[in-house]
Amino acid sequence: MTPKPIRTVSTVIRHTSEPIPGIRVMVLQDEDGWELPPFRPGAHIDIHLEKRLVRTYSLCNAPHENDRYVIAVKREEMGRGGSIFVHDRLAVGQHLQVSLPRGGMEVDPQEMNIFIAGGIGITPFCSVIRDMEYRGLANYRLYWSSNGPACLPEMIQPAVDAGRVDIVNTLTAPIPDISEQLARHENGIRAFCCGPAPMLDAFDKAVSDWPEERFHVERFTPVRIASDPNAKPFTLVLARSGRQQVVEPGDSIVEALIDMDADISFSCEGGICGLCRTRWIEGPPVHNDRILTAEERAQDVMICVAGCKGPRLVIDA
Amino acid sequence: MTIRETLETLTDATWSGVVCHLHKTPRAFLPMKNFETLQLVAGRGIEGDRYMIGNEAGFYSHKPEDGRQVTLFEIEALEAIRRDYGIEIAPIEHRRNVTVRGVPLNHLVFKKFWLGECLLEATRLSTPCKHIEEILGKPVFDPMVHRSGLNCRILQGGTVKVGDTVRPV
Ligand code: FES
Repeated sequence: MTPKPIRTVSTVIRHTSEPIPGIRVMVLQDEDGWELPPFRPGAHIDIHLEKRLVRTYSLCNAPHENDRYVIAVKREEMGRGGSIFVHDRLAVGQHLQVSLPRGGMEVDPQEMNIFIAGGIGITPFCSVIRDMEYRGLANYRLYWSSNGPACLPEMIQPAVDAGRVDIVNTLTAPIPDISEQLARHENGIRAFCCGPAPMLDAFDKAVSDWPEERFHVERFTPVRIASDPNAKPFTLVLARSGRQQVVEPGDSIVEALIDMDADISFSCEGGICGLCRTRWIEGPPVHNDRILTAEERAQDVMICVAGCKGPRLVIDA
Repeated sequence: MTIRETLETLTDATWSGVVCHLHKTPRAFLPMKNFETLQLVAGRGIEGDRYMIGNEAGFYSHKPEDGRQVTLFEIEALEAIRRDYGIEIAPIEHRRNVTVRGVPLNHLVFKKFWLGECLLEATRLSTPCKHIEEILGKPVFDPMVHRSGLNCRILQGGTVKVGDTVRPV
């Protein structure tokens, strides 16, 4: 079988631990310890566990620790299978394909930053706090509540020791009131939240009249490439194999084609090199390439950047 | 003299450039690193670089490309992108192996030239890859469309050093 084009960063699981039962920490590195692609504090990566089993996790380490991606995964018995896979099927030495890091949190360099975490929602704040401590910044406070003992305090030990962290175990104490926590601080603070859905809802309510740039809710939404606001979903059909898949606006058509094992090669993925030129049968396609003439477009499409005007784009592949 | 002849005199005789920076990375998407020297192997590529022919491994792989054993980039293009688009791209960020000054890369396609002690043959202009925007977090695809460097085959290998001369055959 011809090798697939590289679309991910190849890492090796170097180390794993279970600091408390049900939480698995994994250190991913390049096989030779080369630096990994850089990231911003609080960024996340997609981990390709198996075909069609891709999960997003926050990085727990700080950007200056640039030869590793550290993630912490809570075992969710009732989840969709990703965390169980991480806990039961992954071992030191195994290779894992991961995406480039995305997202991240921009703290206010001068004003107070308030971090509100619920349980394993601490992970992006581990990264942010490690980064702030590394840069000598102490203008933050972390309110961290968990349904049981806090899971990763050693990851931010200097912050805990310096008294910049309030930890609440909600098994033995009432669930903290987020509005009240935020009200303890002066105006001008920037607030960040990551945790279970009810916590995010409570946070949303507490900051509902704040200016947008002063708060951040971590929801792991996948990146969508800026797309045409009028674009509609369409069904991409491979005429030769009959395979088909719906492409939503902003979805990567290249990923859909790889997923369907289409026999098409890609290089630039930007509509300029011509490698992915494909004959189209039904459409018509929206041509976003920069090389085909009108005459050529009547038959062919640079599929890597194509859209579709109709409900189906059938291609000769 | 026709324009073509003028161009040929220009590209065939009058230029002489210099190697400013050398970079490589062992795998896709990983940051490039600077080196003082690179080892070029005739017919294969750069020791330790991701495009070295014969080193592809595994299920996910770069397509080995005979004409892409070593890639060059003009430092003048980085300066032009800064001037025209206000975007700062460091030599280590363009993801080609050799940053040169004073070398008319766009005129060298199909030509042979010396890179220090190594003899190269230019195969085609490089095209940028859309992923570079994700890698750098900067909108550099458009600015790089017609100045994305040169792909070359290595006819005679050897050691390339920062400061080496680049010159026509
Ligand atoms: S991959 Fe280059 S034009 Fe589609």
